[in-house]
Amino acid sequence: MMASVVANGNKDGQSLVLKGVDPETCMIVFKNHWAQVVKILEKHDPLRSSSTLGVIGLGGGAAGGPRFGPIPGDEASAVQNYVEHMLFLLMEEESGLGGAMGPILEFVVMENVMERLFVWSLRREFTDDMKLEQLKMYEMLVGQAHQPLLHHKPILRPLMMLLSSCSGAAAPAVEAELVLLLHQLCCVLAKDPSILELFFHTSEDQGATNFLIFSLLIPFIHREGPVGQQARDALLLIMSLSAEDERVAKHVAQNTFFCPVLATGLSGLYSSLPTKLEVSSEEWHCLHKEEWLRMPSLVQFLNSLEFCNAVIQVAHHTIRDQLLAYIYNGFLVPVLAPALHKLTLEEVMTTTAYLDLFLRSMTEPALLQTFLSFLLLHQHEGVYILDTLVSRINTPFQLGTVSLALFRTLIGLYCEDVMLQLVLKYLIPCNHMMLSQRRVVRERDFYSGSAAKILALTPSCCSPDRSPPPLRQLESILFSKGGETPNNSSNTDQQGSCSDEDDGSGNRCTIGSEIYLDVSYLHYLYDARLSISGCIRACRVWSAPYDGENPPPERYQAGVLEEPAPDGRQAQRRVLPPPAPPPLLPPPPRPQPMKELASFAQLELEWDDSFDACPVQEAEASVDPKPSSEPLPKHIQEMRRSAIMLVKGSYSEESDFQDDVMVYDLVAKKDVSETERAPQVDEAPPASPKNGLSRTLTADNAKNSLKAKVKGQTDCNGNLQKATNTSEDLLAQYEELIRSLVSEAGGKPARADGEVRKTAATEEEEEEEEEIDFTSFAAETPESEKPQSPVGAIQRFRSGSSRGNYALPFTGPFISVLLSRLENMLSNSLHVNLLLTGILAQLAAYPQPLLRSFLLNTNLVFQPTVRSLYQVLAIVKSQIEELAACRKDFSELITVAQHWLLAREASFITTDKTSSSRSSQYEGGKILRNSPPPKPKAISLDQTEVFATVLFSEFLKELAAIAQEHSILSHVPIEE
Amino acid sequence: MNLNPFWSMSANTSRKQRAEEEQSGHTDQRASPARTHFGKKVLPPIPKNATPITKPPSMGTAAHSANGTHASYGPFYLEYSLLAEFTLVIKQKLPGIYVQPSYKSALMWFGVIFIRHGLYQDGVFKFTVYIPDNYPDGECPKLVFDIPVFHPLVDPVSGELDVRRAFTKWRRNHNHIWQVLMYARTVFYKINTTEPLNPEAAVLYEKDIQLFKSKVVDSVKLCNSHLFDQPKIDDPYAISFSPWNPAMHEEAKERMFAYKKRPEEYHRGTQVSGLSWVKPGSTQPFSKEDGPPQS
Repeated sequence: MMASVVANGNKDGQSLVLKGVDPETCMIVFKNHWAQVVKILEKHDPLRSSSTLGVIGLGGGAAGGPRFGPIPGDEASAVQNYVEHMLFLLMEEESGLGGAMGPILEFVVMENVMERLFVWSLRREFTDDMKLEQLKMYEMLVGQAHQPLLHHKPILRPLMMLLSSCSGAAAPAVEAELVLLLHQLCCVLAKDPSILELFFHTSEDQGATNFLIFSLLIPFIHREGPVGQQARDALLLIMSLSAEDERVAKHVAQNTFFCPVLATGLSGLYSSLPTKLEVSSEEWHCLHKEEWLRMPSLVQFLNSLEFCNAVIQVAHHTIRDQLLAYIYNGFLVPVLAPALHKLTLEEVMTTTAYLDLFLRSMTEPALLQTFLSFLLLHQHEGVYILDTLVSRINTPFQLGTVSLALFRTLIGLYCEDVMLQLVLKYLIPCNHMMLSQRRVVRERDFYSGSAAKILALTPSCCSPDRSPPPLRQLESILFSKGGETPNNSSNTDQQGSCSDEDDGSGNRCTIGSEIYLDVSYLHYLYDARLSISGCIRACRVWSAPYDGENPPPERYQAGVLEEPAPDGRQAQRRVLPPPAPPPLLPPPPRPQPMKELASFAQLELEWDDSFDACPVQEAEASVDPKPSSEPLPKHIQEMRRSAIMLVKGSYSEESDFQDDVMVYDLVAKKDVSETERAPQVDEAPPASPKNGLSRTLTADNAKNSLKAKVKGQTDCNGNLQKATNTSEDLLAQYEELIRSLVSEAGGKPARADGEVRKTAATEEEEEEEEEIDFTSFAAETPESEKPQSPVGAIQRFRSGSSRGNYALPFTGPFISVLLSRLENMLSNSLHVNLLLTGILAQLAAYPQPLLRSFLLNTNLVFQPTVRSLYQVLAIVKSQIEELAACRKDFSELITVAQHWLLAREASFITTDKTSSSRSSQYEGGKILRNSPPPKPKAISLDQTEVFATVLFSEFLKELAAIAQEHSILSHVPIEE
Repeated sequence: MNLNPFWSMSANTSRKQRAEEEQSGHTDQRASPARTHFGKKVLPPIPKNATPITKPPSMGTAAHSANGTHASYGPFYLEYSLLAEFTLVIKQKLPGIYVQPSYKSALMWFGVIFIRHGLYQDGVFKFTVYIPDNYPDGECPKLVFDIPVFHPLVDPVSGELDVRRAFTKWRRNHNHIWQVLMYARTVFYKINTTEPLNPEAAVLYEKDIQLFKSKVVDSVKLCNSHLFDQPKIDDPYAISFSPWNPAMHEEAKERMFAYKKRPEEYHRGTQVSGLSWVKPGSTQPFSKEDGPPQS
């Protein structure tokens, strides 16, 4: 437009540079132009008196009279030209002294120029072109005028009339221009909120929506492309205006559909997302930016989500709260919840990946709070979403991998509420450890004892002494830095110079000068330091230290057993009452569970095998009536077990599980049945923290639990054994424990007695048993210990979930499921293991003494039924040693795998440097990208045990490094 | 590189010392020598060197260091043990005692002790702590004064303080280096003359307290006159004193006091990334009332 003005200006020989031009001259030019325009306008004005017509009509003489006929093109363009010049003059005019109107503006206001021009354009055919022309005219005026124009009603009113005539569907070009103008108006508003008053008043005659600018923008909220973006930007300007202007806030919240449109728009956009993602590789576990950028529907959804995020950030709290309520009630509950419980694994996996992406995309705490409270407190058909998600970690399919990635994101939020529900609430009562151990929780590991114990689990085939460079850069690091010696080209030089540092009294001041050190460990230490100190900083906002004293274990002994209040409380509080405008909730678009599958509910299905992870429950939950003796691949066993559990009783023949499809189908059906049966049978211990068994158990039941205890007991012997050497205190406890076990087993079948005797055996015997028991622990629960009938198992489950008191400690389904997957490390694929170890390392970096001591303190004596990370690591280690012993080529394979993994990491580091900073924000994602590096040549990725072995030994270093850094970081108040 | 924090911590303390400690408000005399034996009954008596429960067949070949695990990591354990000790020293806030590890080795710490009252009042004694390289399983660390102070328990030739009498056996987990430092402070307030390293001082203290006092005053004067000497051991982190120089010290002093007055301001501006809606005292998620109000 400006360009056309310029062009016209030149054509007419008019000076473009008005600076220095006498304002009076400008005024005269303006008036002249206007006179010309008025002539044409009046000529065609149907309301004009006929006398005028006679005069002007002389030259016309067209049939029917010009007043009503179409306007000749030359006249229209003449007006157009004049108007352009006039606008140019108006724009360039400076305001008068003391902010008074300039003479041209005053004239415009007096003569009502703008309104007459608008009427003129109405008089002509009001085409899209015409609208476009008018919109551009105002856009130019608003954007470029030197003096404020919108304060004047004769300018504002026609603008409003124009805007309201533009509502409704229009050509894309008009829409784009309209949004551009609206955006400009919003910019003016943001700069000068005093105009707001006028906007409200001027548009009073526009009907109910008296904030026209805003109402016009709403239809563009979810629009894709630059128009949508600009509309959202404009709305955001109004939103930040609302934070200061109560009236705007009130108007938006009470008189507009802004919040419902925004929130339910998410639902609409969500429903157009692909229900199944095409997964590029088995390694795939989450949506990366490169991927979702290629999915327009997802980009659109994320744009809207980002907009919600921004609105929540800047808007007045009434708008924010209303929006959050609509998101909860209009999107999360009716759309996302059912989507998370769809029929097929692929769909559920896709939803999980979306959810993960959403959580990673939002930054505003209030929005995160809404999503998180949905995950943590909402029950879908009687089951907490979180419990369902946790249980899915154990699915042997890609869903399990994607679920892991979701939890990596959740843990990475450093959110107290999440950590509380996932882990901490199970640790607060300190039931998982011996009573006398509570003070150990806060103790500092002065001499890296835990690190040493963890590192001592390094399989012999991965020992740093055996791996040649460059895999392990073994170097003599001189802790006594020889930096200042000029000739420190070689280690020997340094050593020489350092040993001279003796002060003459024979004090040696060098550390480790003669020993070759694993240099890579330094990197782990460095990473551990970053990760722990970051975590400590983030957790400053938490409500309690979780150190075994605060929250006090006694006080929350019972509290932990309580379910969190039925999610209604929180959700209702958050969501009620739906605000004034009728909620535009779309009907939940998700299909209801298919009716024919309802019959599965009768089968007393048990699906969630996550409680396998806990020894007690393993004993009970493994209801495989014929534990196979032939060595099946682990993942098949896993699938089989879950499938059998799924349809136990009616579907127990293992030979029926020939292919994945069938299992797959079953698991999918399970999803339905799970929700259907939910009201009667608690989904699983995960749903309720009371995993153990009440004292009202059947004999059979108690026997099993006892065995589990015994089993755990022998496992703990390693620790206990050593402890007894110096601590009578512990010995006493130990005896007491055994007594309690015996008493609990009182009147139980003879077989149980045998077990007890074994436990109560003398120390010497146990010392001999120690190794045997330990290795046997690695194996599946012996057949004889498994319940004879699946029905019994179900009853036990029922009793377990009958909300009675917990007799046995439990560290929660999340920990259980992680440890159980870790135990199967050797059969996990590389990327699953990377995720798994990443999550555990992230958990271990949390500074809360309860969590830290549970994961890392190898000296802590746990209750026999509690499985610790260290135990599981030891199991994996012994599996590896077994494997290495019977496979001759194992060490070569290890070397190949190490080389490949190093190359893989190197390639990530280089790609990472080029990628944006935003993606590197998610550190966990760094190592796992979906573009797989070249396949290793000499080794197949299917040899998971080889890669797992390499990963295992690296994981040990990672954990040890974290433990070491904790010993110095977590005990010092951070001052700077 | 992971060692950096260690050094930065010590650099911090060095700043304090250079800025002349007397102003820095050591009114806190609260830490009492009585705390030397706070030996809690510690449960985990599992020997730290314990090999894991399973004994891998090949373990035998792997070299075992004094710490009992892979030799490659032994130095890391030692380094971190010393780091932990040092953080513990910082935590104790021992009155009038400042230490920092040397640049070259974590096994050698430089220190200085200010005596504020008693016979040795106004004494400023620099010392060096030598930690055995098999720490914490070796003997107790040595503490050697730069200038042999006239004291029954200080060797008049080497300047070594008789620490061993207080720590006959160095016990891991029970004994910590801060206790040695605390002990070094105590000896100047509570004179012990049994089995002295400096018999002359012991005898004088028993027999001729006046002469003893005057010898102590001379010794204190001697030590203080050497305060601005170059450090005995050439090390970037050795403690050195210089006369008050406003251009150099004023700013550091102000920073120290600023931090003392408004510690919370030092945290402001740091990005808080964590989230919590848990009401203090509750263990229920989203129990906080001041979350985004609903509806």
